[in-house]
Amino acid sequence: MKKNKTGFGYLLNTIVIILLFTAFQIITGIFGSQGSFKLVVVPCLWQCCYLIILAASLNLVLGFLGQLSLGHCGFMAIGAYTAALLSLACERAELFTKKEGAVFILILFGCIIAAGLLSALVGLLVGVPALRLKGDYLAIITLGFGMIIVNIINNLPFCGQDGLAQGSAAASLYKNGLGFGSKDKVAYIWVALLVTILCLTLMFMFIRSKYGRAIKAIRDDEIAASASGINTSYYKVFTFAYSAFFAGIAGALYACANATLSTSSFAFTNGGILNSTFVVVMVVLGGMGSITGSVVAAVIMFLVNYQIKNGAWVTALSASVQGVFEYPMLVYAIVLIVVILFRPKGIFGTYEFSLMNLRRDVKASLARKSAERAERKGAKSHG
Amino acid sequence: MKKWKLLSMLLVICMVFSLAACGDSAAPAAEGGEGSSDEPIVIGVISPNTGALAAYGNGIVTGVDLAVEEINAAGGILGRPVEVIKTDDQSDPTECLNAFNSLVSQGVGLIIGSATSGCTSAITDAANEEEVCLLSPTATADSITTEDDYIFRACYADSFQGAIAAAYAKQAGYEKVGVVYCAADVYSKGLFDSFSSACAEYGVEVVASESTASLDVQDYTNQFTSMVTAGVDFVYAPFYYDVIGPYVVPQARAAGYTGVIMGADGYDTTPDYVVEGADLTAFNDVYWTNHYDPSDTSEKVSSFVSAYEAKYGSIPSAFGATGYDCVYMYKAAIEAAGTDESSAVRDALADTSAVYECVTGTFSLDESGTPVKGAAIISFVSDGSAVTSKLVDVVTELP
Amino acid sequence: MSTFFQTLIVGLRLGSIYALIALGYTMVYGIIRLINFAHGDFIMVGGYTMIFTIPLALRMGLPAWTAVLAGVVVCVLVGVGTELIAYRPVRKTGTAMTALITAIAMSLFLENLAQAIPAIGPNPKVSSQIFASGGISIGSVTMEYTTIITILISAVIMVILYEFTQKTRLGRAMRCVSEDKAAATLMGINVNHTILLTFAVGSGLAAVAALMYMAQYPKVYTTMGSLLGLKAFVSAVLGGIGIIPGAVLGGIVIGLVESFTTSYISSSMADTFVFLILIIVLVLKPAGIMGKNVGEKV
Repeated sequence: MKKNKTGFGYLLNTIVIILLFTAFQIITGIFGSQGSFKLVVVPCLWQCCYLIILAASLNLVLGFLGQLSLGHCGFMAIGAYTAALLSLACERAELFTKKEGAVFILILFGCIIAAGLLSALVGLLVGVPALRLKGDYLAIITLGFGMIIVNIINNLPFCGQDGLAQGSAAASLYKNGLGFGSKDKVAYIWVALLVTILCLTLMFMFIRSKYGRAIKAIRDDEIAASASGINTSYYKVFTFAYSAFFAGIAGALYACANATLSTSSFAFTNGGILNSTFVVVMVVLGGMGSITGSVVAAVIMFLVNYQIKNGAWVTALSASVQGVFEYPMLVYAIVLIVVILFRPKGIFGTYEFSLMNLRRDVKASLARKSAERAERKGAKSHG
Repeated sequence: MKKWKLLSMLLVICMVFSLAACGDSAAPAAEGGEGSSDEPIVIGVISPNTGALAAYGNGIVTGVDLAVEEINAAGGILGRPVEVIKTDDQSDPTECLNAFNSLVSQGVGLIIGSATSGCTSAITDAANEEEVCLLSPTATADSITTEDDYIFRACYADSFQGAIAAAYAKQAGYEKVGVVYCAADVYSKGLFDSFSSACAEYGVEVVASESTASLDVQDYTNQFTSMVTAGVDFVYAPFYYDVIGPYVVPQARAAGYTGVIMGADGYDTTPDYVVEGADLTAFNDVYWTNHYDPSDTSEKVSSFVSAYEAKYGSIPSAFGATGYDCVYMYKAAIEAAGTDESSAVRDALADTSAVYECVTGTFSLDESGTPVKGAAIISFVSDGSAVTSKLVDVVTELP
Repeated sequence: MSTFFQTLIVGLRLGSIYALIALGYTMVYGIIRLINFAHGDFIMVGGYTMIFTIPLALRMGLPAWTAVLAGVVVCVLVGVGTELIAYRPVRKTGTAMTALITAIAMSLFLENLAQAIPAIGPNPKVSSQIFASGGISIGSVTMEYTTIITILISAVIMVILYEFTQKTRLGRAMRCVSEDKAAATLMGINVNHTILLTFAVGSGLAAVAALMYMAQYPKVYTTMGSLLGLKAFVSAVLGGIGIIPGAVLGGIVIGLVESFTTSYISSSMADTFVFLILIIVLVLKPAGIMGKNVGEKV
């Protein structure tokens, strides 16, 4: 009976995803050439995709394994540079000349997987010594590792701040290699969506598997877990590398979505929202231990950041509010503090979204809400 | 209830600061269009207004604002007022592309931006694809502009500035030179590359080169100690004013280095960033190449400098000057084209015979869209209490 | 040989700054186990306060360094305010992770608030000379007085803090809170007051650190705290976090590593080596150089 239910769940999800996917392809077909769809919606979707993968992959380490990693963007940098360099090498070897056709798609997926694999390898190398430590010490080590990656990439003669071009700016990545222009972004949006869905599925399956149960046990009580016969160091390092794999894939998508790679984008802190601290923020905001939460938080954080700066409604606000919005990171910081104050366990806690149990969950949540309201009313009438 | 108190406190903080912030920075975005019979000409500006490089964006925005104010006061372009939409790229390529896309989707066809080569290169091909004019005030990397495209700039390319410095070293009789640069900064690295390749061409030997890991480095003593050890009397140090004034020059002298320090347009406004009360004779024998001579008495420059000072209370940086020039270049191109339609403006800008009279020189653009203008070689002079600039030479072409 | 001494002096100069900042970090971390990311930004706050008060001090005929008093006052207010507005409510409701996020958010908030205030703005500011220049010359190399003063101040503060935490009532209360909050409450210690006091001391130290930083590297900008704070925190971890002499030792070690890497290995890879040393030390001795490895209780 149980077995059948799981099978039915997979079937249901697959059908829904295929339906949504087809619907999206039709929308793309209709609106693909229109300005705002091409210029705003699609680039935003690309950015959301890599942020989602990045946040969800960090959630494996942070939420499910319970270890704080502050260098996750380092893995993303490795993935981005690997994918970009590989594709550029293919281009220069004249394996493809135009960004179309089966060969290009093959190379594209090859680059994405290679990016993930190299990141996972580095994750393994870092994880073995680093995961002997815990808590803030691990945080500092991973942070240091992130800085080292950026510093090393800066000093590699063939990439670094010069970009990947033979000239001194990275413009050529746009024309050749992986960097997609606006039109190509529309044409290949299915790649971003497909990769994101695949990654999320793999991560879901991971946390449902024996590995997922093991790392949750380690998170809750490491000593008890090892006493129950779980090889804690193996599971920790494996999860770390598995998480790095997806961060690398997120990096590859980043390389597709952005013409230029600049190491400062992957630094520990920088002006934008793509950095190691913000990935941690996304995970905590969405709820540690909820992939759904990471997905939603990544989208929300992206939208807040994007809308403050580029939203058309901003111009409709009064001048003093616009004055504040000229400093998006300030608004961001305030939003963050308020959210943390009011909902410290994150938006979703450990709740996972599931189509199978949707009705039940909604019902339960409504019942809980009304019970809370009644309780509050009762408390008020008493006090 | 306590939480609500906190929330309200935060809101109060927001309000207080927003009142403070909008005092002079929040320019009303939509003011044109009412008085004139025509629709305003819209120019988009992309610059790093917040984040680590906010100072550059600030310079560009102030320069652009000043120029637009002057133009509107004088009746606008083709009788139409000019309106500016400012966007912030936080010096991140992704944000730069977002800002660009958002401007284009609002129908903006003329864009000024961005400050750094890294950000600008993220949008050059998007600009070509969307057929939108892009005029960068300060992106100096050689590969930004190419022939037959929509990309132009108001500054010269790295290869020119680096070569001028190398030629100067050769001319002044230095056979062996050293370089101190920042490996993580595109501007610094680009100038280093062009300087060293020009040195090879002119037969000047680069015997020592040292770098720094980031622009946040505070101590340059070790780098200059190795220059002393290498025995060079000429060091090319392409950095920005905020590092040169308080850190590089005083520390180089303290490390025992007495020779020439040469830099590029990033040295502009250094005299405002020196340590008051310290021994400023350290700044003698510091040379740099610039777009223009800020102490120039020509009418164009002096009226710009005084207008800028009157409006903002400080001397304009090179970012302010090139931002100001960008607006006037668009003005000239729009007037030549007779319309603000982007492809017509592009054709006007691509006309290599058009001459632009700007603050940073009188020049025309070459085939790629980079100004052909001379460089002023300027030196700092100090009697110990203040630093002033002195024009040494004006180089119009490379030897 | 002169290169060696020069490198040594540069290392000490950087290290003494890191040590001074690390002292503030280690105080706060030692008590509430929170990486206070905003500590670097307290330095920035102190720096800007002094940028504005040094001219006032000079006009009143006082030496420039007296401006540090204003810096201390402002920093203490900001530090205590941060604790009251952000950290305390979060500590009540959240976990260690949410507290960390709050610290990151506070750091962002302070940096960007400074940029938004018109008087500060994004342009960096350069201070005037704080101490007279000059120093002790050994051969061709000069050790500046400022460096010596910084090292002396670090040492004095280290001793005072150490004695304070070991001998006084308040100091003992701090150590008690850091060991076990619940037990401390039972012993009649007001935990919140003690934490507040720690924040006040830590942020006051940030102002002193800002003074010494500006005396040697006279530039202040809004994002100066991020990398500086990071390296100082690394110093504190390297020395053994929560251990006061360890912070000073860690700071000096980091400064020396940075300087010697620049001179002898690769000037653009200094950051890599700083963090590499940290990783090696932590892997070999996870509690830091001066820390004691404590076995985990089952």
